[in-house]
Amino acid sequence: MDTSDSLVIETHNLSKVYPEAQALQSLNLTVKEHSIFGFLGPNGAGKTTTIKILLGLIQPSGGRATILGHDVHRDSVEIRKRTGYLAQDPRYYEHMTARQILGYTARFFYHGPKDLLEARVQEMLEMVGLEDKTDRPVRGFSGGERQRLGIAQAQVNYPDLLILDEPAASLDPMGRHDVLAVMEKLRKYTTIFYSTHILEDVQRVSDTVAILNRGRLIAEAPIDELLAGDGGSIMYDITLKSETEAALAGARERVVSQSWVQNLSVTADDSLTRWQVRVTDEATAEDQLQRLILEDRSLNVKHFGRKIYNLEEVFLELVGKENSK
Amino acid sequence: MTVQTHPHVSRDLRLAARQGLLPARGGGWLAGFGNMFAKELGEWFRTRRWLWQLLIWLIILNGFVAFLLFGLPALATIYPELKPDAEGIFPGLPPEVGATYMYFSIVVMTGTLGAIILAQDEIIQEKQSGTAAWILSKPAARQAFILTKLLSNAIGVLVFIVAIPGLILLGEIFLATHKVQSLAPFLAGVGLVWLALFFYISMVIMLGVLFESRGPVLGIAFGVMFGGMILRNYIPQILYVLPLSMESIALMVVQGMPLPAMFISQVIATAVLSVVFLLVALWRFQHVEL
Repeated sequence: MDTSDSLVIETHNLSKVYPEAQALQSLNLTVKEHSIFGFLGPNGAGKTTTIKILLGLIQPSGGRATILGHDVHRDSVEIRKRTGYLAQDPRYYEHMTARQILGYTARFFYHGPKDLLEARVQEMLEMVGLEDKTDRPVRGFSGGERQRLGIAQAQVNYPDLLILDEPAASLDPMGRHDVLAVMEKLRKYTTIFYSTHILEDVQRVSDTVAILNRGRLIAEAPIDELLAGDGGSIMYDITLKSETEAALAGARERVVSQSWVQNLSVTADDSLTRWQVRVTDEATAEDQLQRLILEDRSLNVKHFGRKIYNLEEVFLELVGKENSK
Repeated sequence: MTVQTHPHVSRDLRLAARQGLLPARGGGWLAGFGNMFAKELGEWFRTRRWLWQLLIWLIILNGFVAFLLFGLPALATIYPELKPDAEGIFPGLPPEVGATYMYFSIVVMTGTLGAIILAQDEIIQEKQSGTAAWILSKPAARQAFILTKLLSNAIGVLVFIVAIPGLILLGEIFLATHKVQSLAPFLAGVGLVWLALFFYISMVIMLGVLFESRGPVLGIAFGVMFGGMILRNYIPQILYVLPLSMESIALMVVQGMPLPAMFISQVIATAVLSVVFLLVALWRFQHVEL
């Protein structure tokens, strides 16, 4: 079976119930081929549960999922032939060396001349920069080295899908930088589905993001769309300087009376006043908003622009809304 | 090397084929079996474990028999007060039969303890450490995972606890009595002893699948072993189903004696229960969350 519509992962109402909690509720996800899909959520949101269901390590309580067109429950071994996986806290046989770990992993996928398998292993070691530590038992590896070995073993079969569970969580800034660089390097060869709670990393490398909270999917969108604003509404960030309060009040009155303006919030800082105007019609706002303000010539517009969110703001807003329900 | 590719073959296999590598053999419930089995056997034979196991069992089993066959009689020549002990080692039995019975008795007792201890961590450790989840995120079948654990331990125990000490026992008997034991009945007896150990390995593997900690695994396995040894005095019927007198059965087989119904039942029940334990382990492990 081959993929359809270039979707690598599809889940339909996927759920997982434990006696003490519902870990996952009717999750519907689609991951397109060659995307770097960031799967975000606070701790305990259900990210690892989802990943483990996709890999057949745990069974869903309801719903279904397919990877590369194969059912995750029925065709799990077939899926794992074309998938690479790095666990959140990767564990290996501690007495084995990096070379042995990778050789052992490679033999799950291939057989053939020993030197060719060795060449594959060497290629992976070089890819993650572990070529000088090949014959050391992994029990002596640092967190960063383990993580890099994890990426190498996940990539040993050149998978069509790479699933990484918190790949940079336990790393220092340098280690995180290295892991993200490897992910970016791999993007042209494979689809990457990775979970994380490090928003900065997601913003840096992901093209699509899903946010999970308490087992529920609360957002899924291309990252640009998500950063542009939530739910189709658009925010403008305006900084004004005015000699009189009356001028500001008048301008405010003119703006909020428009049908395409959802709300206007004000913060004042010394002599400057900052407005955040949420609108529903971007084109009209682009055309009229600044004109409405400048009807009063005494007002001085210091800054006018579409607000660009950072992922942290989007994440906190969405998760906060969800938690307050 | 010419390798044909197919449009539906995934990219990784095409890349590998170009490099001369072919997809791993074995699918379905045997997926990954060869690789895992080689690794598990390697734990026995390519690490120092083989040396330690060899030394331990040679000392315990053959050392003890050697002491009875050679050491004690030699000491009795130096210390005459030991002579009655030396002559009464195998009361009413020829030395070759006595030595064989002694070997079977010790191997069933200490070998069972050894087999339980060696196998108890096989599944629990992998579940607790997360290595099972790592392995089973690769194209490896859960059934193959269990089978490799069972078979590697069964082979390790066969080689180091049963076969090598058994062969050395034959040499010891020859040196002491200048008599050559018939090989076929001896091997049949040794096979029965191994069956008793296999029963416990199979049980411990199953318990490792069913429980999440070592306590219940060791508790139940030792409970069956020691509890059975006590209970057989009060409820002899348990000898129909549990391998609690396999040393006697093995000796009777070696001597070519006919087996009573109770013993025949014990052998059959031991084999059947071993398979049942394996089937339960295979079935249950399919549903274990890793």
